Amino acid sequence: MNSIAVTILLLPFAGAAAAYLFGKWHKGLAFWTAEIVGIILFALTLYLYAGSTAAIDIDATWFTFGTISLPFGIYIDGLSIVMLLIATGLGMLDIHFAHDYMADDPDQARYYAKVLFFIGGMLLLVSAKEMTGLFVGWEFMGLASYLLIAFWYRKPAPADAGVAAFLYTRFGDIFLFAAIGLLFYFTRTLDLERLNAMAAAGAIDKDAAYVIALFIFAAAIGKSGQFPLFPWLMRAMEGPTTVSALIHGATMVNSGIYIVARLFDFYTAAGALIVVAGFAALSAVIGATGALVQREMKKVLAYSTMSHLSLAFLGLGAGSLAAGMTHLVNHAVFKALLFLGAGAVILAAHHTKDMFRLGGLGRTMPLVAFFMGMGALSLSGIPPFSGFYSKDAVLASTIIQSQTHGMIAVLGVIAGLLSIVYIGRLWMFIFAGAPRDRALFDSVRSPSKFWTILPLGIMALVTLILGFFQAPLSHYLTGQPVTEHHIEGLLPFLLSTLALLALLVYFFYGRRPDLTAKAAAQPLMKSLHQVLFNGYYIEAMITWFSKNIIIGAVAATAEWIDRRVIDGAVNGSVRAAQAAFALFSHTHGGKTGGYTGAMIAGAAVILLLFLIAGGVR
Amino acid sequence: MNPLYLVFGPILLSLIAYISPQGWGKYIALALFGFLMKSSITLYTLLPAHGYLMLGRYLRIDPLGFTLSLQVDQLSVVMLLLTALLLLLVALSSWSVAKNSNAYFALLILFAGPIFGVFMSTNLLWFFIFWELTLIPMFFLIGFWGAERRIYAAMKFFLYTHFASMLILLAFFLIRQQSGVFDMTLVRESMLATPTLIWWLLFIGFAVKMPLFPFHTWLPDAHVQAPAPVSVLLAGVLLKMGAYAMIRMGILMLPESAERFAVILLVIGLITLFYAALMALYETHLKKMVAYSSISHMGLVAVGIATLSASGLSAALFEMIGHALIISPLFLIAGFLHHRTGSWQMKEMSGLMQRAPYLSALFMLAGLAALGLPGTMGFIGELTILLSAIDAYGVVMALVAIGSILSAGYLIRSFRKVLHGECSPLLAQSDLRPDAALLATLVIFAALIVFFGLWPGPLFDLINPVFNGGAL
Repeated sequence: MNSIAVTILLLPFAGAAAAYLFGKWHKGLAFWTAEIVGIILFALTLYLYAGSTAAIDIDATWFTFGTISLPFGIYIDGLSIVMLLIATGLGMLDIHFAHDYMADDPDQARYYAKVLFFIGGMLLLVSAKEMTGLFVGWEFMGLASYLLIAFWYRKPAPADAGVAAFLYTRFGDIFLFAAIGLLFYFTRTLDLERLNAMAAAGAIDKDAAYVIALFIFAAAIGKSGQFPLFPWLMRAMEGPTTVSALIHGATMVNSGIYIVARLFDFYTAAGALIVVAGFAALSAVIGATGALVQREMKKVLAYSTMSHLSLAFLGLGAGSLAAGMTHLVNHAVFKALLFLGAGAVILAAHHTKDMFRLGGLGRTMPLVAFFMGMGALSLSGIPPFSGFYSKDAVLASTIIQSQTHGMIAVLGVIAGLLSIVYIGRLWMFIFAGAPRDRALFDSVRSPSKFWTILPLGIMALVTLILGFFQAPLSHYLTGQPVTEHHIEGLLPFLLSTLALLALLVYFFYGRRPDLTAKAAAQPLMKSLHQVLFNGYYIEAMITWFSKNIIIGAVAATAEWIDRRVIDGAVNGSVRAAQAAFALFSHTHGGKTGGYTGAMIAGAAVILLLFLIAGGVR
Repeated sequence: MNPLYLVFGPILLSLIAYISPQGWGKYIALALFGFLMKSSITLYTLLPAHGYLMLGRYLRIDPLGFTLSLQVDQLSVVMLLLTALLLLLVALSSWSVAKNSNAYFALLILFAGPIFGVFMSTNLLWFFIFWELTLIPMFFLIGFWGAERRIYAAMKFFLYTHFASMLILLAFFLIRQQSGVFDMTLVRESMLATPTLIWWLLFIGFAVKMPLFPFHTWLPDAHVQAPAPVSVLLAGVLLKMGAYAMIRMGILMLPESAERFAVILLVIGLITLFYAALMALYETHLKKMVAYSSISHMGLVAVGIATLSASGLSAALFEMIGHALIISPLFLIAGFLHHRTGSWQMKEMSGLMQRAPYLSALFMLAGLAALGLPGTMGFIGELTILLSAIDAYGVVMALVAIGSILSAGYLIRSFRKVLHGECSPLLAQSDLRPDAALLATLVIFAALIVFFGLWPGPLFDLINPVFNGGAL
């Protein structure tokens, strides 16, 4: 089993190199290399899953500096295996889907190499035994996301989006980096499981653990696109849609939740879960309301990712590891499905992302509409789809927990209920009603069954079937039985509200969009719309701050000091000296050749002296 | 092997290279640097587990203390290996220098002798002589082969560092006066009357060379005007000379003073780290940005040195080597771009990725290493210095991590401006095919950065004995 685990970790990187080289040789080979590597990876992970009885635990020393040794081990338990399955399984389907989606792109070698590198980073992250290995995977993924989001680097928008993705996540990462230093200082270990055990036993100073937990959470906020570091998630929509599916479903955004789940005992002991819950509730509402008004279908999905990851965080924050993690797994599947469905629409509609130009596509691409509908139902939390069970568990555990059952629970429920509105709106705009752009509608291409519909179908099936396996999934993930937190009255309330909202959505977006447009034209609604549409202007604020304060004030002051004060003093004293010594300046000729010659001659004389006058010992 | 060949041989050879037929200079240089590399490796194999390997004492005019005693220990040999490697790569990357190439390579050869002398000499006076001799070839390399404002830069560089050298010389004379010896291996055991004054003179002298805030302003000018390979020498060898001296004399030779004033070094290091990073963030001039990034990393080295622990010093030495290997390709590429386009401004060079994909990829790799991405030497350096700094000075040192976001800021922005985006008219009309020697040099740098970034063990095997061997 150990060798399988090591193979799984190394194969993506080898595959990335191979995909690039083969792709340079012959364009089509890049895809096939990636496809084969993807399938092998998934098969190996399944084998690992089937054969695992105990956690795989490999110790290794990375290097020793001075008196400190840094380890680099592998630890794969149930939690890791599920994350591996998500990353390799969805990654495989994503690569398969890209065959058509990226077919026209001249840079396929580069694309598939980066995708495999990306998956490799995620696999490394979830298999790491220590913080060091986790951080390496964490940053590999940050790099890969930057490269993939800026994949079409010739255009300014994707290039800028890549910069945003890197810097926003990197800002969180420096806290993780600092946390590694602090952890080592306080505990002398970076082993994640040992940290959990130590924290649970009370062997770590509680204040220190609290601060460290918050530092790690800051990094999780960055990677998982939570308030206030979420704007990169929406900007990332400039990348290829397959990349969005990979980031939002299979890999990157899950890592923030994974790290909190991995250190769950540590967080519990540090008393930091309530902070997680608070940020999560806020992010959930920001994401859900932001998703209500977007024009681009991918942006709707991006905001919904933010909101649903917040729900997963909320589950963890409410103290229920099972609820949070099952929601993460369910979300990964239906979000990848929705993104790839959106990709199918975008591909068919000649790269139109604006929902306001689509409509009526249910008639031309019924299968895509059907499968995306399944994803939408799962996201909305309609039984028997998997999304229902985990969302219910998250909300129920939030309400039961005494620390979170006030405002946080209310915000969580609002965000949970709003899902059906924005995803219903998206589905209606794309597939229902009359086509808004007749010319575009008539030119829509029908998607390929094998390359496009098949992965969608598989994911739709999984999101349905997973609903019936929540208990074993939860048990496998956490070792705990599924949270049976159903509250009398909550379920009927949720379901009836959902039904009501569904009707409203149907009426306002499907039947009478004219009424919606009229309502949106009201001045108050208009300004509210602006606020939501721009993500509460948080990106604008952060950009303003870094442009005007960090660079415009702090760095500019440093520059002024450097030029005027420090260098000014140097140049000033030189001028003064020049003036004083001007009288004697004629004594040296200034012929450089002369100086060099003198130096060489002098050195030669010295050497001769040595050799003659007793150099030999 | 007679060690004098290593020190004085190059000085004579440079004359031969200068008067040899046009075009031979580079081959002579390459052969010599290869020989220096081989000799350094030989010295490494001969080293005892602890202490010095005596290579020879010459010119024993004992009353004056003028004995040229050449000895090496682990630290010296690590520096010699790094220097020899960089000299080889500098010679390779200078292959296409057209303007008076024999003289250029003669000066490179001339530089090699004194720099080996600096790392091998344990006599303070001779150390100083070699230290100063390195300035002369460097002065002419910048002054003749530099860019538009080369004369100003060369003068500033020379005067600035020469002024610092005077402080060092003064300190050496004070040591001689108070302890009666010029031998740095003996100073440690002797009682000094004014150790504080001596430490401060040395500290300022070496801080100029490293350089540390506020003595850094010579560096951006010198780097910008110097030809790209000479920038590599400046960053990779000359600055390292300062850091080496700081460790050798500021820490190992004067341990009590070092303990008293380590906090000063720490604070100055931190200021340098952040201040230079902010300067780089503000900069739109490509090579200046790289120069400030270089200063910022030397601030990190100073933080590592200030920990005074075996781990921290090992980390600092690793970061010194990493810095040399990471910043050099950035200088080479910036210089290449200026050479071909005539511009320094990042915004005038957008879209390099389309014109020169491999060059761009190498630039990005080195840049990512400079911002401390895992998988590169930059990360290992930052991580080890962070861990040892927190170990030595407590949780406040988590501040060091802030440097990473600043460096990410300026480097990622430079990628956006230079590599990505539409191809600018300036790039579109320039010939951007790098010559094979330059590309080979860059690939070697990249390979080393990644290899030791993923697998730092072998390098630490070389470094660890330096400070674990009881030198502290």
